[in-house]
Amino acid sequence: MNLTRRQLMKNSLLLGAAMPLSLGAAWAADSGFAEAPVHGPIRLYGADRSTTELGLGLRQQGWAPSYEGRLDPLALNALPAGSLATGFTDEAGLVLLTSLLAGRGRVLALGRHEAGRHQLLSHRGPLTAPLAGEAGSWQAALGREYARLAQAAGSARQTRDLRRPAGEATSATELSFLVRL
Amino acid sequence: MSTTQRILPKGVSEADFDAALARFREILGADSVLTESDQLAAYSKIMMAGDDADYIPSAALLPTTTEQVQEIVRTCNQYKVPIWTISTGKNLGYGSAAPGETGQVMLDMHRMNRILDVDPEVCTALLEPGVTYQQLYDYIKENDLKLWLDPPAPSAIAGPVGNTLDRGVGYTPYGEHFMFQCGMEVVLANGEVIRTGMGGIENSSSWQVFKWGYGPYIDGLFTQSNYGIVTKMGLWLMPEPPAYRPFIIQYQDPEDIEEIVDVLRPLRIAQIIPNAVVIVHTLWDAGTHVVRKDYYDGSDSIPREAIERIKADEGIGEWNVYAALYGTPEQIEVNWKIVEQAFGASGKAKIMYGEEAEKRGGGFEYRSALMKGDMNLQEFGLYNWRGGGGSMWFAPVSQAKGSETKDQTELAQQILGKYGFDYVAEYIVGWRDMHHVIDLLYNRQDPEETKRAHDCFAELIDEFAKRGYGLYRTNTEFMEQVAGTFGEPLREVHKTLKNALDPNGILSPGKSGIRQ
Repeated sequence: MNLTRRQLMKNSLLLGAAMPLSLGAAWAADSGFAEAPVHGPIRLYGADRSTTELGLGLRQQGWAPSYEGRLDPLALNALPAGSLATGFTDEAGLVLLTSLLAGRGRVLALGRHEAGRHQLLSHRGPLTAPLAGEAGSWQAALGREYARLAQAAGSARQTRDLRRPAGEATSATELSFLVRL
Repeated sequence: MSTTQRILPKGVSEADFDAALARFREILGADSVLTESDQLAAYSKIMMAGDDADYIPSAALLPTTTEQVQEIVRTCNQYKVPIWTISTGKNLGYGSAAPGETGQVMLDMHRMNRILDVDPEVCTALLEPGVTYQQLYDYIKENDLKLWLDPPAPSAIAGPVGNTLDRGVGYTPYGEHFMFQCGMEVVLANGEVIRTGMGGIENSSSWQVFKWGYGPYIDGLFTQSNYGIVTKMGLWLMPEPPAYRPFIIQYQDPEDIEEIVDVLRPLRIAQIIPNAVVIVHTLWDAGTHVVRKDYYDGSDSIPREAIERIKADEGIGEWNVYAALYGTPEQIEVNWKIVEQAFGASGKAKIMYGEEAEKRGGGFEYRSALMKGDMNLQEFGLYNWRGGGGSMWFAPVSQAKGSETKDQTELAQQILGKYGFDYVAEYIVGWRDMHHVIDLLYNRQDPEETKRAHDCFAELIDEFAKRGYGLYRTNTEFMEQVAGTFGEPLREVHKTLKNALDPNGILSPGKSGIRQ
């Protein structure tokens, strides 16, 4: 039986011997983590390795991501005002998410990650992370950047295009988001 | 690249705008006046092939009462601040929740979301504009009322008031939404409130049952227009029938569209098939759950051989007719025989219902739900077909005649092919008309492709108009052009009405191409 991440969490299997390797690697390799979460909870959506890595970056910056599985934008309506949510989704999910936020929330940042480039949009001022290189995956770097933007006070709209290294393995386009309800 | 420049309404000074915002905060409370970039971001998200910079609001207002809307309008008149009204803001592909032009203040009515009345005896409802289909559906279920809704495809999140005011359509026998609207409350540009139809009579019990009232019938003036702000609307609900039979008819040949329409028309006009039937092309039927690049990765139109592979893999037709019968079981059996006989005559059609249709896959499950007024969001899957977040609905009307649908299909495919886009389309069959709905899907992240999509859409409008086909609805980027196809005398009448009802031009300037 293939359990989803959410099912694993619900069944407390993530901490046991049955933990899948990819998740286990992300959670066990905790070098560089803050001692304990200092910034509070953030809901994390998505259902693949990118999400796990994004969560890793958030944890490294002192956030406590809770894995919520695949994004169901309609479920965001039930969350308390002020809740932070981040993760990856597809084109349909992004359309639905952004349309639901009109008058109901704030779009802090969006990212489009496709072959050859990352396109980032921030409504919280400058984007600074290189999203590449030595300090692990680009998704973890994105997590650290989103962790910073979640606390940033700026209000300027900023866009940034980053070239992805040649030869970097890319599959489908991935769309990331950071929003506050 | 950083943007910090303040957006102001056109022709309004910073001082006047600040004064207007201060007044808006007095009326609504500070939390209901949005001015920060991250709050307004969702109001700037467009899917049409326009420049993002042309669709940025200066603020958003979130009223909860008609009285607040009156005060907002008076303030706008004082400071000449233009507002763009949305109800739930889900007019995706037609302008979404963005303003008609940069600088306009969004008047977002989604917090006016009270279900004021549902009468199960005469099957009517009175709603505020922020009520969603899902909300009304839940209300009906919670109160165990035997009533059906008629949602459009993005059903759960859209609302009956906004969809009806934009003259949207659904898929049950109540599919032509404006036909089933009855009575409005409208805030005029001068801040006065009127009630249409029988609503002007104090304590009238017939506001939601008799459409026409006395004297000129004016409800239509407040649809696809900018003459007032609708704050309440009545609509008719369909009584739940004793029996329901959704079915699908598949045809495999592109040319078959002509036969389908000519067989369907008399059945539809005679109400043998009473609902707003859809005739769905392969790429729409598959596109709700299949990704294009699994079959073809070129930047030109998807080739015929790929379409044939999709048909084979998905078990779907070139044309897939989704329709339903309603009534008593006996009525359905009688009408089913008529349908089978009519569509079976040529030997080309494959007719299915029940288990056979369910096994067939494709869109049957969600189409069956829509034709009985149930909620789903399946068609959001179309946005994954090509990717990149670009979508524009091109929606010309024709007669329900096979010759016209064949002509429209060929013309659309030729123009879309010229620009490298796919024919992702369906026909929605009215009583005597057809809404030909084409989703022009493109990659908005690619400036060259976006320009191509823009040019393609413009050419579609012009070429269809040359053959006598007009659009029933369009997105904000092309409202001016589409208005032009209906002729200057009509535009002059629209303008005259605008000047009479909104002399300062504060209500949704540019909506449907109407300005002072």
